[in-house]
Amino acid sequence: MSTVLATYNIKGGVGKTSAAVNLAYLAALDGARTLLWDLDPQGGSTYLLRIKPKIKGGADKLVRGKRRVDALIKGTDFDRLDLLPADFSYRHMDLALDGTKKPTQRLARVLAPLAHEYEYIFLDCPPSISLVSESVFEAADVLLVPLVPATLSSRTFDQLRRVVRADDHAPLVLGFVSMVDRRKRLHREVTEALAAAPDVLSTAIPTSSDIERMGLYRTVVDRSAPRGRAAGAYRALWQEVRDRLSAAA
Amino acid sequence: MKRRALEYVLPGDVTAPRLRAGLATDFDLEAEPSKVVDRAYFDTFDGLVRQADMSLVWENGRLQLMNGDGREVACLSWPNAPTVVRASDLPSGALRERLAPVIAVRAATALVRVRVRQRVVRVLDAERKTVACVVIAQPSIVVGDRARRRLTPRLTVTGVQGYAKALGRVRDLVEHRLGLSGAGESLRDEAVARAGGIPGGMSSALEVALQPRQRVDHAAVAILSQLIAAIEANLPGTLADVDSEFLHDLRVAVRRTRSLQRELGGAFPQADLARFRAEFRWLQEITGPARDLDVYLLDFEAFAASLAAPQRFDLEPLRALLSERRRRERRRMARALRSQHTHTLLAEWKRLVETLPELPDDDRPDAAGPIVDLAGGRIAAVYRQMLRRGARIDDQSPPVALHDLRKKGKELRYLLEFFGGLFPKATVDPTVKALKSLQDTLGRFQDREVQAMMLRSLAQETAGRQNGAAALMAMGVLVERLTDQQAQARAEFARRFASFADRRRRTAMRETFA
Repeated sequence: MSTVLATYNIKGGVGKTSAAVNLAYLAALDGARTLLWDLDPQGGSTYLLRIKPKIKGGADKLVRGKRRVDALIKGTDFDRLDLLPADFSYRHMDLALDGTKKPTQRLARVLAPLAHEYEYIFLDCPPSISLVSESVFEAADVLLVPLVPATLSSRTFDQLRRVVRADDHAPLVLGFVSMVDRRKRLHREVTEALAAAPDVLSTAIPTSSDIERMGLYRTVVDRSAPRGRAAGAYRALWQEVRDRLSAAA
Repeated sequence: MKRRALEYVLPGDVTAPRLRAGLATDFDLEAEPSKVVDRAYFDTFDGLVRQADMSLVWENGRLQLMNGDGREVACLSWPNAPTVVRASDLPSGALRERLAPVIAVRAATALVRVRVRQRVVRVLDAERKTVACVVIAQPSIVVGDRARRRLTPRLTVTGVQGYAKALGRVRDLVEHRLGLSGAGESLRDEAVARAGGIPGGMSSALEVALQPRQRVDHAAVAILSQLIAAIEANLPGTLADVDSEFLHDLRVAVRRTRSLQRELGGAFPQADLARFRAEFRWLQEITGPARDLDVYLLDFEAFAASLAAPQRFDLEPLRALLSERRRRERRRMARALRSQHTHTLLAEWKRLVETLPELPDDDRPDAAGPIVDLAGGRIAAVYRQMLRRGARIDDQSPPVALHDLRKKGKELRYLLEFFGGLFPKATVDPTVKALKSLQDTLGRFQDREVQAMMLRSLAQETAGRQNGAAALMAMGVLVERLTDQQAQARAEFARRFASFADRRRRTAMRETFA
């Protein structure tokens, strides 16, 4: 059975896509068959993996079960890592879900046939709180929440915890600090405060030109700058996620 | 990356630059540096992985299960090439989950090791995304640590999931512009065959096409030659204890041989037959206790699972005891099987079978008759005997009555296996089905009886071990379960036998075989 991990935050530009792509790559590198579903209509993950952001029939047919999901999957350039690409129609995914029965269960149902195909399924979520997010909460076993080192992050994370815990099938929520500039005192202090919470992982992802250049090189940092701090941080983060998963099992 | 592999023979005059030139007009290409990979192919003795259209491969520190398209289904980090892979030894995870239903209790052993000098050329689209891969490979078989025997140079085209069109275009270019022809066999099959193995594995199934008018002794030779091959093939794996199926298949071949000795006794010189019937009975007996213990241990998880969770662990002293006994019985059996006596008996039996048609017929009353007559008569007779014995069984009959009927059922089963092909399928197939169903019920009845007796016989020894008291209580529950299951099998018997003995079948059997 797959473990479904969603990188999620209400805010945009916090490092969700970078985390999703790099962690999915590391999962596949470890030997696990891994799928990344780019749910964001901006198609960041899809672009980074050099795949056309297009699925036949769009969001509507996909969530209604009118398309075989496995026929929409693309192999990436990395062994064991596949992608279910983004499509611009995902911008209306709320509407597509709203038109179905039990909309919050739709994403889980789309993924159900893949449960024995992949060990890990990553969901790269769009920034919002909506029907899509509720469906993500239902489908995911783990929510990975990138938290930028700003004072409001703690409050936002608290809100998310409350929303998720109200759900019947609450996933495990794990925050991690993202886009940290260690030269800034505020970043250091906020990172320390955030990481003190038991559901925030100790690994922080630095602000890094290696990560910014992912868009230029269109590959994961482990390939473009394997010795860099960012690549090391993602490796440590993945190890920490795996440890938490083992402990929860 | 999901792939659909296409393999082509690479002629000497098709060089890497020429290949690249042939493809570069239509695609952007990116050639990776040339590298050498070591690979080992694994399968069970009977080729279960290949039969499932999969391959189990160790390469570059990973054990990978690939499907027929060359797509990796599951893998595990495994730094050094293993010599044997058993599903039960794998850590829980995707590889175990996928491999266990394929190989079950069998062990996958390394069939052949190859070293491949290869160059991967990636075929790119406008986004510089890989949409197919072309691999130029020069493989050799590895003996010891060195590449010894060269295999056919190959070009392999692998697709990427979601890019079927690109794969089609590359394939067209390779086949039409470069004029390459498809490789008749996969690299795995070529390597296994060149290393002296059988790519599809060695089947212990009996496949003999007899002719109705064939002489009885010729038919006997055709069947017995296969059984001798099965005994010889399974003996090394039995002695090395690679997996429990080797011993099982060896015993099946011995049992079939004994059955044929009995059914076609008149085709053999009588003095020789008497000697070899005694010898094969001995072979069956010396392999029996080890097989029984194999079965107990194979069934152990199911036994344990039938208990409530806390009691399952209480059975561990029993498992330890069974394992010890199994080791002891295995040693005893291996000594007997390695003995000069066994060696001589198998060699002399083989010689007798090979020379059987040349021996004078005086002492062999049935040798020259047509097999269809003798076989038909035997099938009809054994079926009638089963009808008589079965009809006498009621709720009060002792277990031995059901056991005797089961033994007759085995006799009929083997007769139908050997000779069923000589008779109309319309009678044979439904009879085999009804017989199997009846035998399953009788087998379960007998197995539960024997298992309960075994548990009772081990009670004292188990009680004397550490945590023996708890084990004894768990065994008591097990005996109760086994007795219940045996009662269920007994209750099923009447229905199964009625189907096996119904009027239409009796008529069909009489008309077909009498």
